[in-house]
Amino acid sequence: MTAYLLTIFLLLLIAPLLLSFIKALKMQLLYKKPVSLFQGYRNFSKLMQKETIVSEEASVMTRVAPFLVLSPLLVTLFFLPPVVQGAFYVSFVDAFTITGLIALSTFFLMLLGLDSASAFGGMGSSREAFIAALVEPAMVLTVFSVSMMAGDLGVGQAGVNLAAHFPQEHTASFLFAAISFFILLIAENGRIPVDNPETHLELTMVHEAMILDITGVYLAIIETAASVKFVIFASLFASLFLPFGLQYDVPIAVALFLAKLFLIAAAVALIEVNTAKLRLFKVPNLLGIAIVFAFLSLITFYVLGA
Amino acid sequence: MFQFDTLSLVFTALIVLGAVPNLFYSHGYLPHIERKAHYRLHYLTFVFSMIGVVVSANALMFLLFWELMSLTSWQLILTEAKEKKTVDAARFYFLMTHFGFVFLLLFFLIATDGDLEIGFSAMHGIVSKFAYPTLLFFFILLGFLSKAGAVPLHVWLPYAHPEAPSPVSALMSGVMLKVAIYGLFRFLFNVLYPWPLEWGVVILVIGSLSSLIGVLYALSEHDIKALLANHSIENIGIILIGFGMGMIFGSMGLKVLSSFAFIAALFHTFNHMSFKSLLFMGAGAVLHQTHTKNIEKYGGLIKAMPVTALTFLLASVSISALPPTNGFLSEWMIFQSMLSSSHLDNTSLKLAIPFAIFALAMTGGLAIACFVKAYGITFLGLHRSSNAKHAHEVNGWMRAGMILMAAVVLSLMLFTPFYIGWFDKVLIGLGHLSVYAEIFPDGIWHMHSVGMHGGVVSPLILLGALLGVTALLMFGYKALHVKERIHRTWSCGYRTSARTQYSATGFAGPIRRFFGWLYKPDEHFVKESIEGYSSKFSDSHYEVHVKPLFETTLYESVAKAVNRISYWVYRLSHFEQTRYAAMIFNLMLSVLFSYRIFAHEFSWATLLLEGMVMLISIKILIIGEKQ
Repeated sequence: MTAYLLTIFLLLLIAPLLLSFIKALKMQLLYKKPVSLFQGYRNFSKLMQKETIVSEEASVMTRVAPFLVLSPLLVTLFFLPPVVQGAFYVSFVDAFTITGLIALSTFFLMLLGLDSASAFGGMGSSREAFIAALVEPAMVLTVFSVSMMAGDLGVGQAGVNLAAHFPQEHTASFLFAAISFFILLIAENGRIPVDNPETHLELTMVHEAMILDITGVYLAIIETAASVKFVIFASLFASLFLPFGLQYDVPIAVALFLAKLFLIAAAVALIEVNTAKLRLFKVPNLLGIAIVFAFLSLITFYVLGA
Repeated sequence: MFQFDTLSLVFTALIVLGAVPNLFYSHGYLPHIERKAHYRLHYLTFVFSMIGVVVSANALMFLLFWELMSLTSWQLILTEAKEKKTVDAARFYFLMTHFGFVFLLLFFLIATDGDLEIGFSAMHGIVSKFAYPTLLFFFILLGFLSKAGAVPLHVWLPYAHPEAPSPVSALMSGVMLKVAIYGLFRFLFNVLYPWPLEWGVVILVIGSLSSLIGVLYALSEHDIKALLANHSIENIGIILIGFGMGMIFGSMGLKVLSSFAFIAALFHTFNHMSFKSLLFMGAGAVLHQTHTKNIEKYGGLIKAMPVTALTFLLASVSISALPPTNGFLSEWMIFQSMLSSSHLDNTSLKLAIPFAIFALAMTGGLAIACFVKAYGITFLGLHRSSNAKHAHEVNGWMRAGMILMAAVVLSLMLFTPFYIGWFDKVLIGLGHLSVYAEIFPDGIWHMHSVGMHGGVVSPLILLGALLGVTALLMFGYKALHVKERIHRTWSCGYRTSARTQYSATGFAGPIRRFFGWLYKPDEHFVKESIEGYSSKFSDSHYEVHVKPLFETTLYESVAKAVNRISYWVYRLSHFEQTRYAAMIFNLMLSVLFSYRIFAHEFSWATLLLEGMVMLISIKILIIGEKQ
């Protein structure tokens, strides 16, 4: 139980660190002077001390939505697969619930964008709705495929099962599902090539456009939500698609898990450096690839014998 | 004459749950209706005839109440028949509903062997001796799905529902469509029982198509009630997906999974009744205040209409299938039953069902987009017209109706085990296995899927966790004593205004563009450039209309063909009487031949022979020699 609570706390704690790590690595690769790894925490504490400016056009939605954006993600943290063997975990929650909770958070984020009556907010919400609608089927199919390989629909149990006996005979399906999930990770977290988290140019921004009118503590909450979302996806990827190392002692296993998270973050950073952002209407092509790989994964699973 | 088995009682409960809040709402709405007596009479008859349909025990009563239900709802659409549009919509509805009625009548005439007063169970014996059960299945399908609004018989919904007064739209969309689902349950279980595998597949395909097409057209709508009507098509599709999965599992001998899928379909039927009624009531309240159905003229209504806004939000979250609402739970069950398709002993089905999963998941994603649009454009931002500016909360009766309906939504969410207990009893009554103990093996906290290693969801824990965490965060925010300043929205140094915010058309823009091959939108773009510039303009107007593909292809071309044929027949009958007489002879010949094929054992040889005879006779007598 302590290990369980500590992992959740740890995940919450390193969430801003991971995003700062991606940023620093990118800057390093672009021969810039990298930002400090603690920039995320600095931003957070700075925003916490600021006053909040609420738009006069906004309604009660602006005051409520930030909390509703963060809370489903915080609840999701409790449902992630265990990091160490034998640690307590919530075994019963399945991937649909997690997908649903993430969608709930996105739903309120999109409403938040429309609340302040600014054209930017609407633009961001509209684009986010478009991308989210296409992510959903790929997500469900990938989850279906993985849960078949793991032999359980519960996410926690699936992670444990995959670590206990890896489905050697389904390596092909497994790889296809991993590719699909990685694309989803990029799309859901608004990284290049789907969305550029650093830009404030109206032609390209998606996530930033929705929260352009949010300041102070509300902004701190939304930014936390974004980093928690990344941690959720990264740790799902680490538990489901890099399923090894659970059997070691607690410190080693946790260190290994953190290493996996940083590895995923580094992969995201490398992709960000090496690709250009796609035009909005090219994004469906990328998500189409994810959908096709999810289908391929299922089909190979069935055809090669369940 | 009447029967009160569990299926009837559960559907009576559905009608009562849908109608009671509606009565309150309707009472508040009444001052705005001119023909009050007409409205009251038809409204009450409508509710009673729906109850009559679900409790009647023989074909005669069933058809009587069914027809009464259709006619009263048709009259209710005509309550405020001031525009030609309303009359046209009512006529279209009348035609479609009687199109379905013809097939129901055919079904009953065959299944009862002419004696319309025998009970449904006696019909089973007659049907099992009938040579072509699939024909009866298609009669049922056409009869009930034209009422339920499944593709391709859905085209009347986006016309009829917006034109009816709002309480009636809520009742029609929320409750009347479900009566058709009752018909499917009743006659597929009691009369046409042993199903071939293909029937389930047909229903699954219809369901998947309906759900996708419904939500796609909902996204392109600007009329809020037409948007909701299109969502009814989507939700009927989702119910049919559950129903189809149940039939597939049933015919493959997986009894437990079959019951589970049927329970999911029933649960979604109830859920759709609750949130769709609530949405139509909310839309009606907005319409009542702003006097327009055009979503582009709303905006900022959350400030003026807090009760409507809150209940509409609850219903939107629920219809978008987001946890922990009831809409999520039933969609979760349908997903789980589809994921259990890995237990099927048929590889081609196993490979095909992921496509239905894809359709349902895509529907979920698009529904979220659609309801962000509907809610955000209606209730958030700045008012987009002066009508919206002067809106205020509706009267107490209407509010009471909406709050009661919200209570129904909440009860479906909080007392899920209780409702599932009902649905389980329905399936026991229909001769299926009970799965309540498998869904809730350890108390009411966890809901299990019945497939091997299926998923688990715990609605109450989820709800509690979400509420707890949100409350904790808000409490923390309060404890921080953050200074707050009110300032205008930043928009690059300009003031934001009603016209600079995103419109509903703009919001759906990316999706409309991506699905352009389906929508084939009809765009009107007028702009007046300032002299000397091409990119600066003083005035511009953009409008886009999407006409449903099914209507333009299937319906209009059928209408064209019928026109052409009737013209030809007209010409024949007036100017070439000999050929006209020959045609009548040929028609009689074809009726006789088809009766022979239909009533006796089918054989390809006689079909071929009779077809040749028909062709020769047509060639000689009607077409004649070339002149």
